[in-house]
Amino acid sequence: MNPAPPNGELSRRSFFQLSLGWLAGLFAVGATGTAAVRFLVPNVLYEPSQRFKLGRAEDYADGSVTFLEDERVFLIRQGNTFRCLSAVCTHLGCTVNRAGQGYHCPCHGSAFDHEGTVKSGPAPRGLEWFAVTLSRDSRLQVDKGLRVAADKYLVL
Amino acid sequence: MNVSSAERLFRWFQRTRVGRSVFRVGLPQSNLERAQAMVSSFLLHGQPVKVSRHALRPTTTLGLGLISLYLFFILIGTGVLLMFYYVPSTTHAYAVMKDLQYVVSAGLIVRNMHRWAAHLMVLFVMLHLCRVFYTAAYKPPREFNWVIGTGLFLVTLGLSFTGYLLPWDQLAFWAITVGTNIAGYAPVVGPKLQFLMLGGYTVGQEALTRFYALHVIVLPAVAVLGISVHLFRVRKDGGLARPDEATNTVQQLDVAQLPTNKSYGLMELARGTTPQVGLDPADEVFAWPNLIFRELLLLLATIAVVLFLAIFWNAPLEELANAIHPPNPAKAPWYFLGLQELVSYSAFWGGVVVPGLLVAGLVLLPYLDRQRRGVGRWFAPERRLATTLFSLGLVVAIVLTIIGSVFRGPNWSWQNPLKQSATQGEGH
Repeated sequence: MNPAPPNGELSRRSFFQLSLGWLAGLFAVGATGTAAVRFLVPNVLYEPSQRFKLGRAEDYADGSVTFLEDERVFLIRQGNTFRCLSAVCTHLGCTVNRAGQGYHCPCHGSAFDHEGTVKSGPAPRGLEWFAVTLSRDSRLQVDKGLRVAADKYLVL
Repeated sequence: MNVSSAERLFRWFQRTRVGRSVFRVGLPQSNLERAQAMVSSFLLHGQPVKVSRHALRPTTTLGLGLISLYLFFILIGTGVLLMFYYVPSTTHAYAVMKDLQYVVSAGLIVRNMHRWAAHLMVLFVMLHLCRVFYTAAYKPPREFNWVIGTGLFLVTLGLSFTGYLLPWDQLAFWAITVGTNIAGYAPVVGPKLQFLMLGGYTVGQEALTRFYALHVIVLPAVAVLGISVHLFRVRKDGGLARPDEATNTVQQLDVAQLPTNKSYGLMELARGTTPQVGLDPADEVFAWPNLIFRELLLLLATIAVVLFLAIFWNAPLEELANAIHPPNPAKAPWYFLGLQELVSYSAFWGGVVVPGLLVAGLVLLPYLDRQRRGVGRWFAPERRLATTLFSLGLVVAIVLTIIGSVFRGPNWSWQNPLKQSATQGEGH
């Protein structure tokens, strides 16, 4: 090591050595750490797609509420309007069932009305609404990644 | 002296050339050999040559930490055996459970032992934590070992929770769905953490792969390292906390304050917390055989109890996991049911604030508690306030857990546990 300057201050050479050492060390730890965390975040999901096609509009009767098992959503038709309501309880992720006009979660008893708003139980928020669109081959299409307000309709 | 045949066999082996190369000290005859046996054996050298009579008394620790360690050994043993059959695949895992139940020799017993030892380990680690609190064994110089212990408690919960998913039955699937959703309530990082844990948005193959890796290598490795440091520090901090510790140890010398024109012997600079310093020799006995045989007896008892449970009670296994039909009610593992009960009132307060404060409170406890007296004594009267507060928290936690476990039925509404016991089946 270099002898320190008599006044006890850091010599120029020590300063550069320390800076370089710390920078290299921090970079090594930071880069490997970031890479390791990033590695754990999947880039491709092999889950059912968040966006999926359903049948044609005429497959669903006026006033019907259809439960789609695999996608865990309800497709609701009222007249010429289509909406899609999530069947996943906002409390702890169980699948809700239809109960009368509303919905009921079997796990912890949250109850929702026909608009998905919480009537009772521990659920912190109402059920989510997803965007319904029409695909090019004129089939209904739902995007679970696209949340919309309850009063957004697809009008045909 | 009555010489048993096992002892005669060992003595014969020890006289052979091979025997001498394995065991350098034979069965100890003198105090010198009792000391040599402890320091020359790899398995024994982690323990002191002599221990205080106080440490040997069963009421000092109730053996809770040691039992937790033994349960961990059993879990490693049975866990490695299970790994020879288990496949972390959503399409195979459940079939392996059935194979273990009906096809593999002793498969049922091994899985049962693993399950019951895991539940017992969570329980005994909690009891050990309570013991250390009630005997004030976390006070200086042991503050940081309490922090490590708190970390090990969380690792134990993590091990149990990740293992819960692996059978891939309804119980596993929905307990993990509910449990990871609770984690999702954490502020800012919650949803990201949940995504990272599951490797996706739902509990599926990616989640099973991740939980498997965490369960069989990451968390056990952390646990082994943590337990080693935990035990090492017990020794370095002067063994088990004793009531007479404060009066019988010499004051630690401040080396910097000593005049520099004098040379000192090592004994004058020695730190003051080794168990031998300043103690009446009559209070200590040799670890061989007093400590070692008590420990072996406890190990035998722990294995016997786990084996007994495994023979008479089967680990729960429900039908294959089904993402469309949640059981009613869907419950987290029992040690998270108090939390789930709180979450059923308010997700944020019950799922984030309370557990956050609880963990922070536990970690900071030895630094917040300024009272220096009461070390090594159960429920010391000087610590009445601390004891009362801790007990209150404990009672609340137990009551919440009991409510969540047996008083909550379908739709998470109140039920009479006596009436429902027929439909609810055995404890999970």
